[in-house]
Amino acid sequence: MITGRILSAIGLLLGILSATLAIAQTTPNLIDEVLPNGLEVTILPDESHPVVATQVWYHVGAANETPKTRGFAHLFEHLMFGGTATHDKRDYWEHLRSYGGSCNGFTSWDQTVYVSEIPPAGLFGVLNLEEDRMVNLKLDQQNLDNEKRIVTEELRVGTENSPFDRLEVAMLKKVLGDHPYAVTPVGTKEDIVAANLDLARDFYKRYYRPKNAHLVIVGPVDGAATLDEVRRVFGPLPAEGETPPDPPSLFGWKTPEKVELSEDIPPIEAAVVGFLMPGPGDPDAYAIKLMNQLLAWSAVKPFEEELVRRRKKALFAETEAMVWRRGEGLAFISVSLPYRREKTAFRFIDETLARLGRMEWLTDKSLAAAKRTLLRSEQEARWYAAQRANRLGEARWNEGDTRAAFESTAMIEAVTRADVAAAFEKYVARGRPIRVYIRPKHVPLIVNLFGWLYPLVKR
Amino acid sequence: MAAAVMALAPTPNHAAGLSYEVQTWDVDRATTGALVEDHRTPLIQLQIEFPVGTWSPWARENHAQEAWDIQIYDSKGALRARLDNLAVGLSAYVGQRSSVVSLTCRKDDFKDVLALVREILANRDFDRAELSRQKKGRQLDWEASLKTPDFVLQQAVHRLMFARDDPRRRPYEKPEAMLTDVRKLAEVRDVIVRLPGRVIGFAGDLTRAEAGSWARDLLPPAADQPPPGLFPRMLPLSSRESRPPEQTFSLPRLTQVYFAYARESLVLADPDKPAQMIADHVLGGHFYSRLSEALRHKEGDTYATGISESGSELAPGVYQAGSYTKTANAAATDQKLRQVVKEFFERGITEKERATAAGYLVGRRVFGRQAPGQVLAIFFWEHWQGVPRGFLDQLAERAAAVSLADVNAFIRRFHDPAQFTMIKVAPGK
Repeated sequence: MITGRILSAIGLLLGILSATLAIAQTTPNLIDEVLPNGLEVTILPDESHPVVATQVWYHVGAANETPKTRGFAHLFEHLMFGGTATHDKRDYWEHLRSYGGSCNGFTSWDQTVYVSEIPPAGLFGVLNLEEDRMVNLKLDQQNLDNEKRIVTEELRVGTENSPFDRLEVAMLKKVLGDHPYAVTPVGTKEDIVAANLDLARDFYKRYYRPKNAHLVIVGPVDGAATLDEVRRVFGPLPAEGETPPDPPSLFGWKTPEKVELSEDIPPIEAAVVGFLMPGPGDPDAYAIKLMNQLLAWSAVKPFEEELVRRRKKALFAETEAMVWRRGEGLAFISVSLPYRREKTAFRFIDETLARLGRMEWLTDKSLAAAKRTLLRSEQEARWYAAQRANRLGEARWNEGDTRAAFESTAMIEAVTRADVAAAFEKYVARGRPIRVYIRPKHVPLIVNLFGWLYPLVKR
Repeated sequence: MAAAVMALAPTPNHAAGLSYEVQTWDVDRATTGALVEDHRTPLIQLQIEFPVGTWSPWARENHAQEAWDIQIYDSKGALRARLDNLAVGLSAYVGQRSSVVSLTCRKDDFKDVLALVREILANRDFDRAELSRQKKGRQLDWEASLKTPDFVLQQAVHRLMFARDDPRRRPYEKPEAMLTDVRKLAEVRDVIVRLPGRVIGFAGDLTRAEAGSWARDLLPPAADQPPPGLFPRMLPLSSRESRPPEQTFSLPRLTQVYFAYARESLVLADPDKPAQMIADHVLGGHFYSRLSEALRHKEGDTYATGISESGSELAPGVYQAGSYTKTANAAATDQKLRQVVKEFFERGITEKERATAAGYLVGRRVFGRQAPGQVLAIFFWEHWQGVPRGFLDQLAERAAAVSLADVNAFIRRFHDPAQFTMIKVAPGK
């Protein structure tokens, strides 16, 4: 649906959806340790999984880059598969492929994560390869130049060649300005061209070391034996590396009051009113999560119901929640044919938000249902070792402790109606709105002249 | 079908005691039940599938997709509100071969969820305003698709291969006018629900006895006979002689050229399919495949390249090697892509490549069986293709057993560059 494409631009799909899934039950056999060299290790043995998921979280992402290193976190996602002094670049893949396993890397604004899935017999091989590339990566001009070319093609396909991708990039930049979240992790072509070997080596040495890394292993493993192997493989590494300082919180960031955008999209106009909020780890985080569940992720979305179905003041409407480590955003989107004046579109949104402020959408029953939905999502993760590994890595990085992955069930259940109402009041009703208006570059004449008739005809 | 417990051979895995079986039984003369038990977490997945999909002529003539999509939208929104209250994630959609209602819920909500599913499948109070919105949305989606290079490329590929009325080409043609007569749509939906041959699938935390009990009164009685025109009707592909060796289409504001090097694919049941699986893995199926080495790793011409195949379950479909690169590099990348396929055709693969591909295809299976819903999805796929249970598992084993000589003989038959057409989308008005 067209709203989906607009939403993906607004919702900023580059790895920002929060998978705040809890491990559904306490697991007394969880191993959580920090090696003397600073490497954090979490092992969750569970025989019910047929495969082992490993993740190495490097606590560095696009938001930690400087103007000279912009794009590096993502560039390193590529470079880390480039071979080492002791292994050819194909060895990592060949090891996994021999078992039918898989591996990948993901870069967001807040972290870079290297993941694999493999049967238990292949785990120790993965550990050796992860250790090797943590310190022995072959960073030379040839590798760097080739990956720069590849990343540039990725950048083109992801940010230049679809109007919706271009819209996403422009919106981020205009709304967030100088905030580190304003540029997509892939960077810009100019950034990639400027990347040089010395800066790359320095970036690697600072951030791709034990003191900035968290190794997570979930699956049918012997916990004690696996920990012994981790100590054996990673223990001798020197205590090097640093975690970059946190970027500023999004909540409270100075954003423009109004942004206007135009792109080669079909003839619709979208008015967006967004609000920034604190991120995971904030005392209000769970109330915000439930508020977002009720407003953005339910089958009946209050904003859409009011604006589109009851008042018939927009063609489509949507509510989109976005989550970063250092802040969240909630956007209310109204889509109309391009006959409506911008001022009117925003007035309708404001009226609808005022109506939402009566909190009719928030009842004991709806809150209980929202909690059950979140808990159901958590339970679904129980089937997949990779999802549980991701939750553990996320809990540690976003909430400060792996054990938050086990506590979120209780945290969700403890949220009251008053908490959710207070969150809405604080962050939406009294929040500082950011307004975005998106226009199509080309509007058929007939729509320009007669589009205002559409709601009358369709009533 | 005789009532029986039919087991999928337990999937090899390293977790003691975990092996998935698919139990099936006759719910009634026209309905099959299927169950994949998994008691790790108190969730149930319900997947009901009816034997008509977008490939069916009847579905097209009768606007089955509109009828199926609208049924969760009653005029007051009560059905969706109850979905929220029951914490259910539900979707209703029409796939290529079946119409599906799929949901996940907590076990203690399941009884109420089943009641809601019955109501959804009997709902006739369709929201007219929502239908109108969906109609507008479909039009806008179409216009948006024409602005994206991937879509334009695949549109060109599918127009090259398939006849105008072939259902596999339809997603790439302007959508037909929607039916908005709610009475007629309700009638169509009712026909779908009563089709003989429907399947009620369960996965998760329930026993065979529970599943049997819940399936029993879930659906209304089936019709005696299905309507005519239900089964997909595939049209012959365009003749190879009619396909030009090359075609180029334009889109404004592109900074890259997109490639599809395409020919007709083998049908699923073709005896060469196992050999093809090995060949495809080597040519374009992994990060260091022939295509990836030549187009990505050697000189960074592209970020992505590989092999894909579609529409070939019942008849030959489309097989393509694809990639993209910046406009200035297009000619060189075009040549490289062709050269990779040419060398593949001329020289084939090595025993080492064959053995690694075989190991990967066999080893990979366990990764698609981590959750009961995945196993249920495999069951449904095999069911609608009309292949025996375990077909996909056995296909991987058959692929692993193909000799090097046979793989290379297949490559000599299939990967002849003369059989391919190069289709491109490039910058232009």
